[in-house]
Order: sequence, then C-alpha cells, then structure tokens
Amino acid sequence: MDFDLNEQQQMLKTMAGDFLAHEYSKARVKELEKDSLGYDPGTQAKMVELGWTGLIVPEKYGGSGAGLLDLVILVEEMGKNITPGPFFSTVALCALPLMKFGTERQKGTFLPAIAGGQSLWSLAITEESGRYDIRDINCRASLEGDGYLINGTKWFVQFAHAADYLIVLCRTGKEGELTTFIVNRKSPGVKVERIPTTAGDGQCKVRFNNVRVTARDVLGRIGKGSDLFNYSMQTGAILKCAEISGACQAVLDMTLAYAKERVQFDQPIGSFMAIQHKLVDMLTEVEGLQYMVYYAAWLLSSGRKALTSISMAKAKAAEVYQQICIDGIKIHGAIGFTMDHDIGCYFRRIKSAEFMLGGRDLYLSMVADGIGL
Amino acid sequence: MDFEFSEKEEQLRKEIREFARREMAGRELITGLEEESRDEDWEFAMQMSRKLARKGWLTMAWPKEYGGRDASFFEQHVYMDEASYWGIPGMQMGVSGIGWVGQSLMLFGNDEQRKKYIPPIAAGEPDGVWCTAYSEPNAGSDFANIQTRAIRQGDEYVLNGQKIWTSCAHRARWCWLAVRTDVDVRKKQHGISLIIVDMRSPGITVKPIYNYAGVHIFNELFFDNVKVPVSNLVGTENRGWYQLMQSLAFERHSVAPQFYGTAKRILEIVIKYAARTKLHGRPLAADPLIRHKLAERAIELETLRLFGYEITWKLSKGQIPIYEAARNKAYCDFVMQRMAITGSEVTGAFSQVDMWSKWAKLDGAITRLYMMFPGMSIAAGTDEIQKNIVGQFKLGLPRPY
Repeated sequence: MDFDLNEQQQMLKTMAGDFLAHEYSKARVKELEKDSLGYDPGTQAKMVELGWTGLIVPEKYGGSGAGLLDLVILVEEMGKNITPGPFFSTVALCALPLMKFGTERQKGTFLPAIAGGQSLWSLAITEESGRYDIRDINCRASLEGDGYLINGTKWFVQFAHAADYLIVLCRTGKEGELTTFIVNRKSPGVKVERIPTTAGDGQCKVRFNNVRVTARDVLGRIGKGSDLFNYSMQTGAILKCAEISGACQAVLDMTLAYAKERVQFDQPIGSFMAIQHKLVDMLTEVEGLQYMVYYAAWLLSSGRKALTSISMAKAKAAEVYQQICIDGIKIHGAIGFTMDHDIGCYFRRIKSAEFMLGGRDLYLSMVADGIGL
Repeated sequence: MDFEFSEKEEQLRKEIREFARREMAGRELITGLEEESRDEDWEFAMQMSRKLARKGWLTMAWPKEYGGRDASFFEQHVYMDEASYWGIPGMQMGVSGIGWVGQSLMLFGNDEQRKKYIPPIAAGEPDGVWCTAYSEPNAGSDFANIQTRAIRQGDEYVLNGQKIWTSCAHRARWCWLAVRTDVDVRKKQHGISLIIVDMRSPGITVKPIYNYAGVHIFNELFFDNVKVPVSNLVGTENRGWYQLMQSLAFERHSVAPQFYGTAKRILEIVIKYAARTKLHGRPLAADPLIRHKLAERAIELETLRLFGYEITWKLSKGQIPIYEAARNKAYCDFVMQRMAITGSEVTGAFSQVDMWSKWAKLDGAITRLYMMFPGMSIAAGTDEIQKNIVGQFKLGLPRPY
C-alpha cells in the first residue's frame, strides 16, 4: 500500500500549480466570468504546449500516453486554482470516450487534433430536466437517407460556443434506444446560446434543428449509447471529483490563512475554539475526500470494479465542496461575501460541479445499489 | 499510488475469518468493552484471549522475545480490522495490557519488570489483565491535574487518593497507575510517575460505576495507605508524564481499524435486515430514504477505512502520526454516532429492546451500539480534545485554552 504520488506525478503537480497560479489569477478568473469566450485562448495554447491536452492520449495518436491517475493529479490542480476553459470538456468528457469507443478512423482523426490543440470538444447529454438521467433523454436522431437528422435541445453543455465538435446522446430507432453521435458544432441547424450561470463558466444551451450526420459519425455502437453514458459516469465523474477536491483544498488553505491573520479581541480568530474546530472539521472532510478520490481513481485505473467507490466520491464531493465553502465564508465574515474576495469564485462554482454528470441523489442511489440494497 | 494489501496480509485475514467462524458460531456480536460486565461474557473473553495468544495474534506486533511475532503495521491493521469485524471477545483483554503496558515496559521498564509482567499478557492469561488509572475526579481532559499521591517511605511508596473511570479494575490483576510523586514543581506535568500496583494489595477499594445501560465497565478506585515496593516504579521518577505521552501513541494506530471493523459489520447486518424486512409489503431496502441514509453511512465508513490505511502506511514508513490519530478518533466517534442513529431508524422500536433480550433484533447489536456510542466517544479523549490536537499540530493554530 502506498499513498504517495510517484516522482513524475509530483513534478506534474508542482509545475501545474505554479503555471496555473501565474496564468489564471483570481482577478483574471473574475474578468473571464464576464468574457464572451470565457477563457484565455493564449493560456489554452500554452497548456497544449505543456502537453496537457495530450496527457492521456496514447502515443500513437500524438499524446504522451500517461495514466488516469496522472490526469487526476493535473485536474486536481486545475480545481485548486480555478482554471476556466474547455480543457475539462475536451479531455475528461470527450477524449476519454473517444479513446474507449472510437473507431480506428475516428481515433486517428480526432485524437491527434485534441492532443495538438487544434480542436475543442464538449459532451451534450443533459436536457430539460437538468439531470444526468438516461430516462430524460428526448433528443432524437431519425434515419434519413444514409444518415440521421438530429432534433432536440441539450442543456448545460460546457463551452459549446467554443467547441469544434460535440458528442451528443440521442434516441434512435423504433424502441428509442440510445446512440451517441459526433456532431460538428458548425453544422447547419446547430444553435448555441450561453446560459448565464452564477460562475459565468461557459455553459450552453444547444439546439439541434434537423442537423445532418452520417453513419460514420456514430460513436460506439448503434443502440449502445448507454455505454458511453455509464462510462462517463465513471471517468468523467472521478475527474470532476478531483477538480472539486482541489477546490476544497484551496478554500481550506485561504480560510486557515485568514483565521491566523485576522485579529479580534486582541487575538487571531483561529485561537477561538469555535473557529478552530470548524477548521478541523473542514480539514477532515478535505483529506477524506482526497483519499477517496485517489482510491476510486486507482481502482478504475487498475481495471478493478470502481463504480461504487466513484459514486461514493461524487456524492461526498458534492456535499463537502458545499460545506467547505459555507464554513469558509462564515469564518471570513463579511469580507467573504464580497466580489473583491476570492472565496466567492469557489462558491459560485458549487452547483456547476455538483450537477455535472449527476447530482448527489443519483450517486447515493448508485451507492445503495452497490452495497446490496 | 497503490491501495492493495499483500498476499501475506490477505492470507492472515482469511485465517482470522476462519478462526472467528469456528470459534464464534452462534455467539452474539460484542461491539466493545461490555465483555467486562457479566461473568459469563468475561469468562468466554478470557478463553478467547488464550486462543488468540496461541495463534500468535494477541500481541503480534511485539518482538518474538516478548511473545509476539514482529508483525508489520499492515498485518496488525488487518488483525485489528478483521477481529473487530467478527467482534472476537478477549482481543482487548481489558485494553491496557495489550494496548500500552507491554510496550511501555519494553521502552521504560527494567528487565525484572519485563520478565515478570510481559509473558502473562502475551499468553492471554488472567494474570496479564491490567487496568489503567489515569483520570481523577478533577483530572479528566486536564489530566496533568492529578492529585493522587505516592510518598516514598524507605523501600516503599505509600499511595493515597482516588481514581475514577477505571475500566476493568474489577477484572484486573495489576494496575498501571499515574500518580503524583512531587508536588513542588513549576509545571503540573512534572512530578508525575508511573507505578505498577498489585490489585490484591490491602487498602485498595474498587467501587463499580454502572453506565446508564446498566453495564459495568468502569469503576472508582480508592487508595488508602496502599504500600507498593519502590521496585514497581516504571522508568524515571517524576518523568511519568513524558513516558505516558509516548505510551499513548501505541493505541493510536489501532483506533481506526478497530472501529472500522465493528462499524462495517454493523452496517452489513443492518443492510441485510433492511433487505429482508418488509414495510407495507415492500422491502425496507427499496425505500429511498433508507437507501440514502445507508449509502451515506457507507461513504463515511469508507472514509474511515482510508484514514486507517493512511496512518498504517505512515507508520510503516517510519513516520509518527500525531494529528492523524486525533482526527481518526474524532471521526470514529462521528461514524459510530451516525451508524447508531441510522441503525435505530432501520430497526425502529426494536432498537430499544434490551441488548440481551431474546426479542432483540440483530442480537441486540443496535441497542448495544446506541447505548454505548456516547461513552466510547468520551473514552481516550473527547471530541473537543481531539480537535484541539488537530488544530494545534496540523493546522498550526494557537492553543485555545
């Protein structure tokens, strides 16, 4: 048993932390929340140069073939230092399913472009219900000649306005079975609107009006779209957990620093037991979440059954992120409630992180299934 | 990163499981120190202590020369976790002897003391049962406040004073006593010594304290001119506090695996109960509220498991975990409390049926846990004290008291 990161992971962590803190200061993050693009393409290009977009892409497709645990470490740093942009949607939500379900032709075409930074991607699953639930998928792909016509609306698609391609989950056939398609975002009939969210974090509503795709655009097998849905529920969710875990560490760090420097009644407020015990509770949850994320990611990356552990991590992450931010703001007092302060950047992103790929209820229910209920 | 146990450790787990299935067939789950209460339970616990000793498990961490088998931290972890899961009585043997007396004697005792006191502990014999007398009426969390005196007269110490919350004093052959040997000190931590007391000495009175569940675990212990040979002093006179702090470290790594094993067993039996119990014609296990609550408990339990692994891993690398142990103790208490409450909600009104009654559900496990958890959370340092330790040692915050 070994909780340590290996040397390469340690290096990646340090380098990523330094780079992101430099590129994406909180002032810049706040600016970008109001920006029409929502991220800095210059920084995105540097991330490509650092090899991050190709980190887990196999070498034969132009990547460096690193493992899921390495990506977990990187994404954790991205969560710690809020990293606006389409990295997560492209790599965590699309490159991984492409690697898993893509045909040789699809992998050969798309993965090198992702690794090389020529294309951005996003995943379109959630619809009107706002939930990650297979029963709520109504978007339809109807047979039309030698291809399909897609009609429907997807919600909360990250950075769809910047993406070149979308992976879209649709109903097909008489039985309405699920199939996923790769859709060029610039196809006629695709209409993207930014959803104004609390964090201005580039989430979009995407309408598909008679959008034409061919049989070669099917990702995975026809009628087996639930495979991709379930796969993302594991790989995407554990990476989202890593991002949340990083964010929680950052909120704890800034709150702890504040509790040490803020003086009231002639002493740092961190010397008061009411504050101290709250900080200890925060630490306990942050450490617990981090270990749970590492453990579940290790299970997944080593080919073991991981669904229940990942579900535990996602359910816990949603709860811990929220509580850490609430306690953090309370310890900061009124200053924590201002736009000037940085803690709000994390607070504004809670619901985005919580509901992406499914909320707490969904994952608790999966845990219940996993423990024999 | 790697979270796998070795083959050797897995093999040990299997052996313990087989042992427990064979030896514990038809026995109810004992979740803690209740075995000290009723004579028939205690007798069975002592039989099991001997068997555990013969298996080489009881004090497996100790060096071979002291009756152990130099087991690794990970092997100890597996033993603690698995034996607690099965609720094997006697694995604690009154806690003190196995928990810290043996190892403290190896560190601070002299040869004569080691030869006399260690073998009966390692053999799981009644002569190896110890109690520990630290707390006093005015020295609880502020334990350096102790006032029980030992005054040296020739070759003897004369003891006077009162101890309280002394677990197992009514079963113990020996007492591991923290006592004041010097009152003229600058800091109250100075002037404390550790002394071994024969529980059969004249002048000792053991007065039971029944907990609110009617279970007899702890006692008041009175010393009225009790005479103890000076050779029973452990280590250096007046340095007892510092020896004791080090000895407390011995119980640290076992807290999380022990609580985890117990809590895992309870969650499992509650889940099975929910699966086979119907409410309005539907299994309780299909009720969304019950499902969510049990899923939350499972997540907390998993967190506890990883906290336990973390300490064991750090110990195995030669680190000395300090705040981690305090964090784990506080988290254990939280896990047990939530488990007790959810368990009682699943078993409903039956959660109040006497733990030893034939009508109790799940062999009284839920009643027992519910009645015991507040006490367990206070033993070995309250929640607040644990959090103070974490605040100071990990977060670097000023001492708040």
